[in-house]
Amino acid sequence: MISPEGSKSLPDRGSRFDESLFSLQAMPKIPRGMLKETQKAVALARKFNDEVVRPQALEIDRQTHADPEYLPWDLVKKANEWGFYTMFIPKLFGGQGFNMPASAYVVEELSSACVGIANVVFVHYLGVAGILASWNVSLANKIFREVVRGQKSGKPSIISLAITEPGAGTDVEENELIDRARLNCHAEKVKGGYIVNGSKIFISMGHVSEWCCLIAYRDLKKASENTVTFAVRTGTKGFTFGKHEDKMGQRACPASELIFEDCFIPDEYVLRDSSIREGFGTRPIADLIEQYIHFVVSVTRPAVGAFGTGVARGAYETALKFAGETEVGGKLLINHEWAQAMLAEMYKNVVIGRLSYTEANYANGLPGGIYNILQRKPVYYYQKYAPKFIFDYLISPLLDLEITQRIFRRLFVDSQSLEVQQRCSGWASLAKIVGTDMGVKNSQMAVELMGQAGLRHERGAEKFLRDSKLLQIYEGTNQLNRINLFNNLIGSSIPQARAFEE
Amino acid sequence: MLTTIKSELKPFEDLAHNFAVRELAANRKANDSYPFGPFFDPVVARAYEAGLLGITVPEECSGAGQGIGALCVILDRISAVDASLSGIIFTNALAQEIMLAAGGKDTLKGIMEKATDTRSTLIAYPAFSNPGETQTGLDAVRAGGTFRLSGTIEYVVLGGMAGHALVPARIKGQDGRQDGYTFFLVDQGGKGITKTEPIFSLGLHACPAVDLTLAGVEGIPVGKEGDGARCFDHASDRMHAAVAAIQCGIMKGAFQEALSYSQERFQGGREIINWSALRMLLGDMAVQAGIADIVVSGAAMAVDQQDPQWGLSARAAALHLSELACKLTTDGIQILGGNGYMKDYGQEKRFRDAKQVQALLGLFPLRKLGLVSAMAKGQ
Repeated sequence: MISPEGSKSLPDRGSRFDESLFSLQAMPKIPRGMLKETQKAVALARKFNDEVVRPQALEIDRQTHADPEYLPWDLVKKANEWGFYTMFIPKLFGGQGFNMPASAYVVEELSSACVGIANVVFVHYLGVAGILASWNVSLANKIFREVVRGQKSGKPSIISLAITEPGAGTDVEENELIDRARLNCHAEKVKGGYIVNGSKIFISMGHVSEWCCLIAYRDLKKASENTVTFAVRTGTKGFTFGKHEDKMGQRACPASELIFEDCFIPDEYVLRDSSIREGFGTRPIADLIEQYIHFVVSVTRPAVGAFGTGVARGAYETALKFAGETEVGGKLLINHEWAQAMLAEMYKNVVIGRLSYTEANYANGLPGGIYNILQRKPVYYYQKYAPKFIFDYLISPLLDLEITQRIFRRLFVDSQSLEVQQRCSGWASLAKIVGTDMGVKNSQMAVELMGQAGLRHERGAEKFLRDSKLLQIYEGTNQLNRINLFNNLIGSSIPQARAFEE
Repeated sequence: MLTTIKSELKPFEDLAHNFAVRELAANRKANDSYPFGPFFDPVVARAYEAGLLGITVPEECSGAGQGIGALCVILDRISAVDASLSGIIFTNALAQEIMLAAGGKDTLKGIMEKATDTRSTLIAYPAFSNPGETQTGLDAVRAGGTFRLSGTIEYVVLGGMAGHALVPARIKGQDGRQDGYTFFLVDQGGKGITKTEPIFSLGLHACPAVDLTLAGVEGIPVGKEGDGARCFDHASDRMHAAVAAIQCGIMKGAFQEALSYSQERFQGGREIINWSALRMLLGDMAVQAGIADIVVSGAAMAVDQQDPQWGLSARAAALHLSELACKLTTDGIQILGGNGYMKDYGQEKRFRDAKQVQALLGLFPLRKLGLVSAMAKGQ
């Protein structure tokens, strides 16, 4: 019970709003090169949209309805050729090393043409984030360099992330809920590795990925302290694909069921076993697992906000084009004041979505955030201009050393305070909610404004609407994200507040 | 539905409910796969046999001679399971209503009596537009004692499959002036009609539509020349209550599925219905579905009793419930999480159907503006 005296002071307990001006805090320290680099990345995405995405997005969507088992091999090959799968892998691991916040703008650009295809490109980075946040830099280096070789050879080697289970969606994204979840993906420690049994569902790009970053549990009843993260190669004995989901939208990007039956995964493919504490400081195991989850979602949720913003923009642009060329009641739709008000609202929604994911990524770039170190000017410019052979032949071998692993864990895990973790995760949820809600809202408005034309598949607006709805669901439903926002940005400063405990 | 307090409508409610459960529920996903899968002809044929395709048609025209209330009761029950069939019933009824408003009772009687099968009794109509807002693409030219229609008309629901199509066209006078538009009945089996492949739409997949191109096709005028707008407005006012009923059914179906799922699905060790944020979402849905029932009942009664301003009541009901249905079905998916987005469940279809139904009878924002215009004129 909060006393009247206590409740009066509640608003004063949280940080003041001017302490959350992440952009103002971050801007002076951001390397100037990031702007040009970001514009270069977005320009490439725009070109990809013009040459690859727009000419076939609607036809592919139609094709998936005619053939629900369609898999986007050709699109994966194209994205691989264009270098999208290595673009945001740090040079340290052989990638192109574009600054990571730029990925959100690329996501927005691609999603403005087709968010299904944008997912074909970017779900891979969900897997990358899952691997990176384990801070097993040796295994990360091995897998990421395989992705780079895949680009050179023309044989794509992309990564998916498998966490959702048939009986547990929201539960597996919150360590506070997971011990009460109906889990089934069990990892049993055996000599030389683990035996995994169970299944995962709704795994985006599962069928077409070479690697899967798999989350399983040593103890299904006490998963909060017994999480194991694996890298599993497609084709590993005991790892098969089940159902290919029949979704309402985003149909270019398959959602797969993954089945593990006595699947042996050697120790060398363990990204992180929560029971092994070496190099992970003094935090309790459950807190470390929670930090891992928050590291991943701090990156991925702003990206989903960018997906939503992209859809919002695509829907707006489709409606704008229609309004500019269609007469209603004897004059162009765009000259009706009510239509102008709708278009202004849609424009506003796009900008709000963009500002939200941008601010969340600034939060990630401040000290303690996952982007911070790579954005420090000396590190940034060294990574940008140092010859490639230095990374490939001098630094890469060092990543296998235990001391290097410890340095990375020290830098990223130990140095991140709980406050920073909460700030990044809370803002990630905020950006996700805002962007995805704007995506759905603008898609609805576009269909409304276009009337019967908006209902036709070939006009594009209805596809935006179907595609947009999924964004409010994955990476944690927007309901879960609201509670996560409360937990991290509001409840964290109120001792009496408890989330997930009603 | 509260209208069923009028006991004579209870049989229609039971008929529609039983029909939906028996004929629609099991094959909802398969039926929705049209145009990539087969059309559910046998179900439509049984709907015809059950009398669902002539509810508001007078008895002397071989219809059931019921009011809008009965149609609403049926559409509500059918839509709770699969709104596609409601789209077919609605379109056919709208075309019939326009014909009746135009004084085309004898023509309608002829169609009903001569029909040899289900398709020949159906009348196609561009149900998603108001011909007064966007100019019709058809011109009618007088040729002796009849008319020849040419041009293209988009999104004709049941086009190509129904025996006849009711289409708006502008009559080209000798001086080239085109005052208003007139409805014409076209035999879809006649020469000179080209139809596109079925339009792949957002929702109501099993309520097919095509674009029709007519080249000198004979058209029988329905109503007075240039009187199309009046006929449409009259029929449209009545059929807005039917739009509200479809949305009401969709909302109730979505709420029921969400309520059932929330009692079976677990999160954090308990059924998701026992988490208060989700229960609040269900609470919102329950309120909206309950309100919808009252709104449809009120609108249908206002229409049937010809209350003062009955047309405004019906239009307001449709506009309000369309907005509510689009919101409620969005939440309906959300409660089922990832499952709600999959075609194995009914929620994603209801989400698409609600948005599609919102577009019936013309551009949604203009219908809202039109409502205010009508009020300002004291109609």
